[in-house]
Amino acid sequence: MRDVAVIGVGQSIFGKFPNRSAASLGGESVSAALADCGIPPKAIQVAYAARAYDANCTAQGVLKEVGIRALEMVNVENACAGGATAFRGVWKEIADGRYDVGIAIGVESMTTSPIAGKLIPPEKDDLEGYLGMTMPGMFGMVARRQMEEYGATVEDFAVVSVKNHHHGCLNPQAQYKKEFTVEEILNSRMICDPITLLMCCPNTDGAAAAILCSMDVARKYTTQPIRVLASTLLTGDYKYLQKDICASPVGRKVSKMAYEMAGCEPKDIDLVEMHDAFANEEILRYEDLGLCKPGEGVALLRSGATKIGGRIPVNPSGGLLALGHPLSASGVRTICEVVLHLRGQAGARQTPNAKVGLAHMLGGLVTGLEHGVTASIHILAR
Amino acid sequence: MTAVSREDAMADVVPVREGIFREEAAGGLLLGNKCVSCGRIYFPKTEFCFDCFEKTMEEVLLSRRGKLYSYTFGRLPAGHFQPPYAVGLVDMPEGVRIFAPLKMTEDKPFRIGMEMEVMIDELWQENDTRVIGYNFKPV
Repeated sequence: MRDVAVIGVGQSIFGKFPNRSAASLGGESVSAALADCGIPPKAIQVAYAARAYDANCTAQGVLKEVGIRALEMVNVENACAGGATAFRGVWKEIADGRYDVGIAIGVESMTTSPIAGKLIPPEKDDLEGYLGMTMPGMFGMVARRQMEEYGATVEDFAVVSVKNHHHGCLNPQAQYKKEFTVEEILNSRMICDPITLLMCCPNTDGAAAAILCSMDVARKYTTQPIRVLASTLLTGDYKYLQKDICASPVGRKVSKMAYEMAGCEPKDIDLVEMHDAFANEEILRYEDLGLCKPGEGVALLRSGATKIGGRIPVNPSGGLLALGHPLSASGVRTICEVVLHLRGQAGARQTPNAKVGLAHMLGGLVTGLEHGVTASIHILAR
Repeated sequence: MTAVSREDAMADVVPVREGIFREEAAGGLLLGNKCVSCGRIYFPKTEFCFDCFEKTMEEVLLSRRGKLYSYTFGRLPAGHFQPPYAVGLVDMPEGVRIFAPLKMTEDKPFRIGMEMEVMIDELWQENDTRVIGYNFKPV
């Protein structure tokens, strides 16, 4: 297996753009990634693209915008981990030696999709979805368990949102650049008790792209290749095996796999970009990722360690809560953010002297399987 | 009024899913199945045992009561449900955790651990059809 590096990253504008097509948003992110590493479109040999809604030949539609055609293109859907799945697809192609240079794209146009303005619906025949299960509903039920079993309070959940919105203010590419107080978060519209509107990620249109390259070839294009230490993707088990809905069995397994593959431990990680679709979820993932011991997520949050400037900044980009969450784009976008920190190019939100970073994604509700049924972690290093 | 009352015989009545519940004089019953080899119980029924891949499964009637594991109130419309509506997870003595709509009562606010009882009830109406399913209410 060959060493693989990320040499170029790009993000489109994030927000609500009913007049922009997915191809146009995707094209913007690809152009940014090409410009970032200064390689010509012709250098790209393979492409993977992720999109969840209204998807049809996404890679082809995006890449024709920038003059890339006539090569192997693969389209994937994998809930919120779609972008991470596309990235891993390109990583595998290059690690296995099939190609030297490839691009991973994640794109979503939520406002032009059939679910615009609605909660993300479950699959049509999904029994629990039929009976009223929704994503915020699930996380509302999880939140009550966190309060019952782990001493979390609604203020803790609000603090996560305050933190990530503060981070978003430092990121010129964030959908929301606005500070909020704990009171404002708690007093926003109730969605699924105790989850309020400002504890939920917004609907977002946007795209992200990453250009990967074998390490030998990378040195031709850049003096700052960012090495992919670990690439993992795993599906969860049957739900009856998940006793505690506050712990993600697949999240913990994939985290163990990633640290083993990277040859490092949680204490070696300098920053984390993760799936914070709901504010209370971030606290659970601290534990899944081993940033603290099981049951100590609330204490880690309260210590301030996960703020920018803390021991282990989490979601310095603003996270899904403030930066926005174009579903399939987020799995590529989190990797792009980690790359910027490892290069020292993250501006006001830079993690000082970051050497190793972790990008996490988790998503998907399927009756009978654990919630957050697909999980992916990438660990990158300079 | 229960779902299977005869008062409204004009309207079509359809179950939200075939074969997963029925109503008897004593009340609602959820139908699961059990692996004859390892004893694991499933709801809804499975074709075979996901644990040991045994193909022979026998029907079991779940207990009518379980304990509320968690709950929430939906404040946005979701599918056929108009806000506010309550949903929750109920742990049954057979070892299965069931997601279901919850019936709100005036005198018994939901709390984790409280005893819940299964009811067969109309969940919503579609055109001229009454869709029947199960929910849980505080005992």
